[in-house]
Amino acid sequence: MILLDILTFSGRLHPLIVHLPIGFLLLATLFNLLSYTRKFAYLKQAVPITLLAGFASAVLACIFGYLLSLRGDYDADALNNHKLSGISLAAISGLLYFTTTSFFRKEIPVPRPLFSILLICMLALVSYCGHQGAGLTHGHDYLTMQVLLKQERPKPDRVEDALLFEDVIQPILQAKCVQCHRNGKNKGDLALEDIKSILKGGKNGPAIVPGNADSGELIRRVMLDEKHKDFMPADGKPPLTKNEVQLIRWWVSKGRAGMNKTIAVLGDSAILRPMVAQYLGLGAVEGKEPGEVTEHINPEIPLTADTSLINKLRNAGFKVRLMLKKPLMLDVTLPAGSGIKATACKSAILPLAKNIIWLNLSENGFTDGDLDFLTALINIEKLRLDRNPITDKINKQLIGLKHLEAVNLNATGITTSGVDELKKNAAIRRIYYWKTAAAQ
Amino acid sequence: MCDHHEEKFRIHTPDFDKLHRQLGRRDFLTKTSMGIGALALGTLLGNKLFSNASRLAAGNAAGDTEQEILKAIPHFAPKAKRVVYLFMAGGPSQFETFDYKPALDKLWGQNLPDSIRNGQRLTGMSSGQALLPVVPSAFKFNQHGESGAWISELLPYTAKVADDLCIIKSIHSEAINHDPAITFLQTGNQLPGRPSIGSWLSYGLGSDNENLPTFIVLVSKDAPKDQPLYARLWGNGFLPSEYQGVQFRSGVDPVLFLNNPEGYDGADRKEMLEYLSKLNQLQHNTYGDPEIEARIAQYEMAFRMQTSVPEVMDVKDELDEIFDLYGPGSRDSGTYAANCLLARKLLEKDVKFVQLYHQGWDHHGNLPGNMPRQCRSIDQATGALITDLKRRGLLEDTLVIWGGEFGRTVYSQGKLTPTDYGRDHHPRCFTMWMAGAGVKPGISFGETDDFSYNITKNPVHVHDFQATLLHLMGIDHERLTYKFQGRRFRLTDVEGKTVRDILT
Repeated sequence: MILLDILTFSGRLHPLIVHLPIGFLLLATLFNLLSYTRKFAYLKQAVPITLLAGFASAVLACIFGYLLSLRGDYDADALNNHKLSGISLAAISGLLYFTTTSFFRKEIPVPRPLFSILLICMLALVSYCGHQGAGLTHGHDYLTMQVLLKQERPKPDRVEDALLFEDVIQPILQAKCVQCHRNGKNKGDLALEDIKSILKGGKNGPAIVPGNADSGELIRRVMLDEKHKDFMPADGKPPLTKNEVQLIRWWVSKGRAGMNKTIAVLGDSAILRPMVAQYLGLGAVEGKEPGEVTEHINPEIPLTADTSLINKLRNAGFKVRLMLKKPLMLDVTLPAGSGIKATACKSAILPLAKNIIWLNLSENGFTDGDLDFLTALINIEKLRLDRNPITDKINKQLIGLKHLEAVNLNATGITTSGVDELKKNAAIRRIYYWKTAAAQ
Repeated sequence: MCDHHEEKFRIHTPDFDKLHRQLGRRDFLTKTSMGIGALALGTLLGNKLFSNASRLAAGNAAGDTEQEILKAIPHFAPKAKRVVYLFMAGGPSQFETFDYKPALDKLWGQNLPDSIRNGQRLTGMSSGQALLPVVPSAFKFNQHGESGAWISELLPYTAKVADDLCIIKSIHSEAINHDPAITFLQTGNQLPGRPSIGSWLSYGLGSDNENLPTFIVLVSKDAPKDQPLYARLWGNGFLPSEYQGVQFRSGVDPVLFLNNPEGYDGADRKEMLEYLSKLNQLQHNTYGDPEIEARIAQYEMAFRMQTSVPEVMDVKDELDEIFDLYGPGSRDSGTYAANCLLARKLLEKDVKFVQLYHQGWDHHGNLPGNMPRQCRSIDQATGALITDLKRRGLLEDTLVIWGGEFGRTVYSQGKLTPTDYGRDHHPRCFTMWMAGAGVKPGISFGETDDFSYNITKNPVHVHDFQATLLHLMGIDHERLTYKFQGRRFRLTDVEGKTVRDILT
């Protein structure tokens, strides 16, 4: 077992060792060409030893490369090409060195220009072999014109515009899976680069089953315990977060693993929408630990606000408490009996209207007319208007607030019919009307 | 006043130089590390600064506000703004309150099976007993509210608000005796020396009312003083001392030493404090000891409290109906009922953390005799507090917590007779409830076995409870830390998991 591990380890040294023959052989050719000039003529005698070093390191690279190939999971054709070109390179460099030995030169002297040409041909082989090897490690499209010309899909600005597969699922797979599961590396005969190969699956069956998030090898494996031998990503590579798994499941079940589907087409979901938003960095919660399912936060709350406006609000006499940094959620309280005029109150609040989530204006003598700015507080969740001389007319301000969850109308002029009318706003879950004419 | 009072402290007097040379290693380290300490403090104070609008508004540029926002603490959108924690010191029995175990009726007097006890340690008070006879509750249980919560007949008023409670039957602690258990619940560690929950919140979130302390403690005077309480339970530990809980007492002097001494009218108090503050500031410039800053803050707070405390303690504006709601004790300042009423007034004023303590729950013997009296002393006012907070709309953003430091054993301590029994300490499971902001109302969470000895479903460790409490206030319990003696401390030490299932 230990022996095998040493072999595996040596195999992994291959990508490191290969750079030695590349360097030596390049240097040997360079010395050889430079030695035609008078200034560097003396370099001629360095060529054989450099070639020898190149040959030796090429042999070593071949051995390590062979050990690495034993771990399998590479595309057979590409691997074969690389193997053959690598071994022939080692052989050719060895032969070329042999031609420089005095023993050989006595038998068959190689003309100097021919030797140089052979060296240059060998460099061509180095390039070919190197490119093949790089293709195996990084993918065959790693260094091609296609990559250069490929256009990045622009990042969507709104959650509604995002395409589930293209903007969310594919980047997840790209980041966490494709390093091993792609054309040319094909671990487990599975490639996850594009939708076609994802649907094709691997040697253990289909990776996903459209419409069914509970079957499919991909979902099974990423959801296993991390210590399980089938767990993916293997070898301690960064696992998918809970959110990412959730998103993939959603895409498979609701999105039927299709392309070109926006979040909107797939129907809104209270939990997934913010996760998509977070993934795309839209209205996201900052500093969230990976793997933690995010709480539901209204994505319409602006991420930031002009901080000088907060100062203005404070200067006007309000108490401002920060509920969350990003998006910027504010809890604003006007101290009871502050004596602030309604117009001043309105002008201080309006610029931050979308950021105010909790607002407390209790006991400040405001009337229905004074509070005509409440309709602008489109993201407000909790509102206290208790102990103000307001009446049923205040409903006009409150009925359209989509996120309003609780309203405190204690000790106001609200009546039973006013309360009933307010209940028509389906968002409102709790209305407080203690000490009013409304029936308790 | 002489002129030299206006001068700055002369630092190069021979006496002072001598003192300077005597600066010990500890002082030196404190002083030199202050730069970093002050920065860290600033980070956490972000929110405190935020609330002190009047002090800041004048000279605050937009850039500073931006910095404050960057540094301010909320890690999640908070559900709760204030907490009132009704601490039932002594360890109320779960058998006679919330954890209904009808199966025990048939097992009266039988020895506790080893398969249930499972090698659990017992206290020295009952470990010598030859028999551990199982004893069912002497009191009846009924289901209450739409939620159908089982609540004992001893708590009729609490039963009325059953649909507002989230009853957690699976709290478990590590300590088996009062001091370590209560210290564990309050500070996250069994040994004294760590900050109390209220101090952590005060430190992390700052004040919403600069005229009153952020963390206020009320101890019932009408409870048996069977187990002691001590000020370190609401202490600041290693946090700066301005974050310690302030105890409000009953009687003429709610906060000790707050009133002006006899024969002094207090007219130049403000001026005196300004001079004192200047002197302290000079001292602070030299030594950089954070305790000097804390002292300055405390003097200022005390000055503001000279007006705010009498105001908030004054109950003459409360209607009779309110006193009737809280029960007969509520007119007598210092009782549990009066403290509940006062707590509501403090919460109305946006005091962040109000902690009540009610002793007398340590019923090792004569439980059937003691328990009804004990329950009666808290039941009506507790129910009233929920009712009152709810109708005022304050339960919206106030979290109410009720519970002791551990539970009690299923077996009787001492002689079991048909009419008498006692119960020993039991840390493996006990019941607490939470109500209000962010907590699911009308649910029962966690389950215990038929003996209420082991937890069978959804255990909630004390650290989990603390993590959940911080979560509701918008704090990630893993990120609220304070560096002390080379290590970062947190309330939940290295454990704790937010109990998401009870959150709305």
